[in-house]
Amino acid sequence: MTPGRARDWYKDAVFYEVHVKAFRDANGDGVGDFAGLTESLDYLQELGVDCLWILPMYASPLKDDGYDISDFYTVHPSYGTLEDFQKFLDAAHARDMRVITDLVVNHTSDQHPWFQASRSDRASPYADYYVWNDSPNRFADARVIFVDTEKSNWTLDPQRNEYYWHRFFSHQPDLNYDNPAVRQAMLDVMRFWLDRGLDGFRCDAVPYLIEREGTSCENLPETHAVLKEFRSVIDREYGGDRILLAEANQWPEDVRPYFGDGDEFHMAFHFPLMPRLYLGLHLEDSRPITDIFTHTPPIPSPCQWGLFLRNHDELTLEMVTNEERAFMYYAYARDREMKLNLGIRRRLAPLVDNDRRRIELLNCLLLTLPGSPIIYYGDEIGMGDNVYLGDRNGVRTPMQWSRDRHAGFSRAEAVELFLPVITDPVYGYEAVNVAAQTRQPASLLNTMRRLLAARRKSPVFGRGSIDFLRPHNARILAYVRRYEGETLLIVTNLSAAPQPVELDLARFAGATPIEMLGDTVFPTIRQAPYFLSLGPHGFYWFRLDRPGDGDEPYGIEATPI
Amino acid sequence: MSPGGDGPALPPDVERQLEGTPPAEIAVSLATYNNAATVPAVVEAIRAGLEKHFAGVPAVLISADAGSSDATVERLAAAGLPVVRAAHEAPLAERAAVPFHGVPGRGAALRLAFAVARRLGARGLVVLEADVTSIGGDWLERLLRPVLEHGTDLVMPMYERHRYDGTITNLVLAPLVGALYGRRLHQPLAGARGLSGRLLDRLVADPGWPPAGRSMTDLWIEGITLAEGFTLREALLGRWRVESSTRSADLPAMVAETLGGIFGVMDIYEALWRDAVGGEAEAGAAPLLPSAEPVRIDVERMIGAFRHGLRDLGSIWEHVLAPETLGDVLSLPADGAERFRFPDPLWARVVYDFALGHHYRVVYRDHLLRSFVPLYLGRAAAFVIATARGDGAATAAALDAVSGAFEREKRYLVDSWR
Repeated sequence: MTPGRARDWYKDAVFYEVHVKAFRDANGDGVGDFAGLTESLDYLQELGVDCLWILPMYASPLKDDGYDISDFYTVHPSYGTLEDFQKFLDAAHARDMRVITDLVVNHTSDQHPWFQASRSDRASPYADYYVWNDSPNRFADARVIFVDTEKSNWTLDPQRNEYYWHRFFSHQPDLNYDNPAVRQAMLDVMRFWLDRGLDGFRCDAVPYLIEREGTSCENLPETHAVLKEFRSVIDREYGGDRILLAEANQWPEDVRPYFGDGDEFHMAFHFPLMPRLYLGLHLEDSRPITDIFTHTPPIPSPCQWGLFLRNHDELTLEMVTNEERAFMYYAYARDREMKLNLGIRRRLAPLVDNDRRRIELLNCLLLTLPGSPIIYYGDEIGMGDNVYLGDRNGVRTPMQWSRDRHAGFSRAEAVELFLPVITDPVYGYEAVNVAAQTRQPASLLNTMRRLLAARRKSPVFGRGSIDFLRPHNARILAYVRRYEGETLLIVTNLSAAPQPVELDLARFAGATPIEMLGDTVFPTIRQAPYFLSLGPHGFYWFRLDRPGDGDEPYGIEATPI
Repeated sequence: MSPGGDGPALPPDVERQLEGTPPAEIAVSLATYNNAATVPAVVEAIRAGLEKHFAGVPAVLISADAGSSDATVERLAAAGLPVVRAAHEAPLAERAAVPFHGVPGRGAALRLAFAVARRLGARGLVVLEADVTSIGGDWLERLLRPVLEHGTDLVMPMYERHRYDGTITNLVLAPLVGALYGRRLHQPLAGARGLSGRLLDRLVADPGWPPAGRSMTDLWIEGITLAEGFTLREALLGRWRVESSTRSADLPAMVAETLGGIFGVMDIYEALWRDAVGGEAEAGAAPLLPSAEPVRIDVERMIGAFRHGLRDLGSIWEHVLAPETLGDVLSLPADGAERFRFPDPLWARVVYDFALGHHYRVVYRDHLLRSFVPLYLGRAAAFVIATARGDGAATAAALDAVSGAFEREKRYLVDSWR
């Protein structure tokens, strides 16, 4: 199944989220760069990645890890030049991999020339590029998102002597999308990168583009109108295979409008699923996971959910109820340092006590639930985190390539590294690195490669419907995925103890389950309950083969022997 | 011939049956597994064949059943022939996924039937398949008369087939077996065959039967026959049509079983094949059915599968194939049916490299065998492309060329085998 040139390639794709600065440093200055990323493409291709998602790589004072952009038209000098970026993009395309980049549309850095002009001259063409007010009292119903650092969404600018609006940090003034010039300016930014061949954007913080008095200033119809305008221009000018992925940290029914009628975003993250996967695993109960799908509305057929276990931000707990949140804290963040905002800043492996079985089970769920999986760099080898690095840096440490100096990430001196490599005895680079795991057939890395290769065998994973089975044993999460006559059965054990389960598969009587990772044929399904036993945190991926259906015949298989 | 007595001890219930069974000159064995639907017709063909061609000769029917849960055994017993019923334990894995020949534990069934036949003093044994409904009254005679009257030790069937039937046999198994044993056989895994008492004695006494659960026994028997100077002939039987609920239709599984079977024989019984040379067939080519029906083979999909293999299985193939062979495979023009070819010498080296990779266990064997499937599909596609416009003779010539390439390249295999 080649993603090939299909316009809806993103529905089958496996995404990989990566920081340029953290992946590989080719020029030895201690910061990863595009040249290093280009050198790493073979690794990513072998892993089974279809699309890279590059975190912000634009010029920036880096007060918020690049989400504070000061020039949309350049690459941050630490990461290389535009030419380096172009070489990287072309090399990825040569390997049939696609690339999307983060684009912060909601705000800029306060260092951006637009803001500098806006604050210094009320007669400037940029005067209305931002949301200004003479008092901090407008839009009082909008919540403060970064409650740990910001007291208000308004900050007084002494130069212009007015307050400017910012939903995030005070050094990130919100752009004023009521101003048509701002919308055009942002479209020009997008064109600049799409002209270079970029395959799309992951748009940061999209619910907040427009403000209206008396509202939460989130998800407003006027915001959707702006986003639809972006989409239609991109579709019209670039042939329809460039994608927009929404970051809207909201409940699924609130995210649903961002898909429009298939005319807004191609993809959006499914935020509430992720904490529930952890919750279900910790409670050894399938219901938190099945419940969230009953709260997930259907989406237009060209659209897709983006699924993830971890990302560069904290494990987001905004999307769980207070009671669940308290439990999650208790379960996964006993150390106060690990709590940040409303999340938990840990990587996948430490979140589950470095338990291989639980890591694999969570990845199993990531790859088999409906949506396109997004892997956070380093999680495929079980990298750890460093909670003492402050803010969210603990999960952004250098990629661990080998047991060479600085984990093979860089030739720089230790003091030059943008962040120290992880050196603790469990997760340190000498214990956890790509080179060692490449050589061990049963390593997490090689297991991930096998899982991704198995996922690639069928379009059902990315495109199929989902029906949860309801076995009596609630420790078992089992579901059927279907697409165009092909049926998959996924059975997982959320418990740390072996579990038996009887599944009602009578509607598939006559079909034969083929386990997809080992191509093992299981006994044929009958009317009676189908019995399976699963080891601790074990899982099965079955393809249900019915005699006579499945693939179109080649025409030679009737009597080949 | 005296009854052979060196074989394995028979199960007590079989011993009890033998006490009341008179000696027989002819034994007919059916390996069965849930074949109640077809057994009556097959048994009737046996009865008619015996009556017409061997009237008055004492005969016995040996039922070797793998644990049928239907009325197979009862219906066999209703045939009106003396019957010895023997049940054998089939490996669990083969019951869950029955091999291509439809009988779990075929090796065990054959061994049991051979032992019973010798105990009853049979001069000849005919093995038949319980689900082959195209059996004619003359099949028995064609498999048995060379044994009883011409001193032939092993009679193998040749069925009439459509030219694109049996692509695994024609493109992989038969050329490989021919080169290994120094004698071309048209259908080395055909289930029916006739065996002499002499050969039965030799086989029953052998302590080194192939392990259970692999499709090796038939190929091992042919190897012994040819390596030790027993005589072998092929007999034309007509069309082969099967009605089975247990035969696998899973192409990758069949490829893996077939290839795994012959590779296993190569591995364990090196002496049977290492030094054999030659390769000419005794009889002419197996007759091909006229291709009245249009060819409905999706060559593009097969090439597509080959391309997917190129993309996804390179990491396995690079362990298995010699570098220059891998290079040649990677540069095959696989962009479409127009230009797609798969040269015979390259094909022979690919198969030999897989045999060597299996021998040296360079990757997990099951993965190795399954990773062969796209290569096979590619070669089969090239075969169809090359012969689609030709006639039966052209097809036969193409298959001859494949066999020739395997025979010429055998040196490479032998030199690399330690």
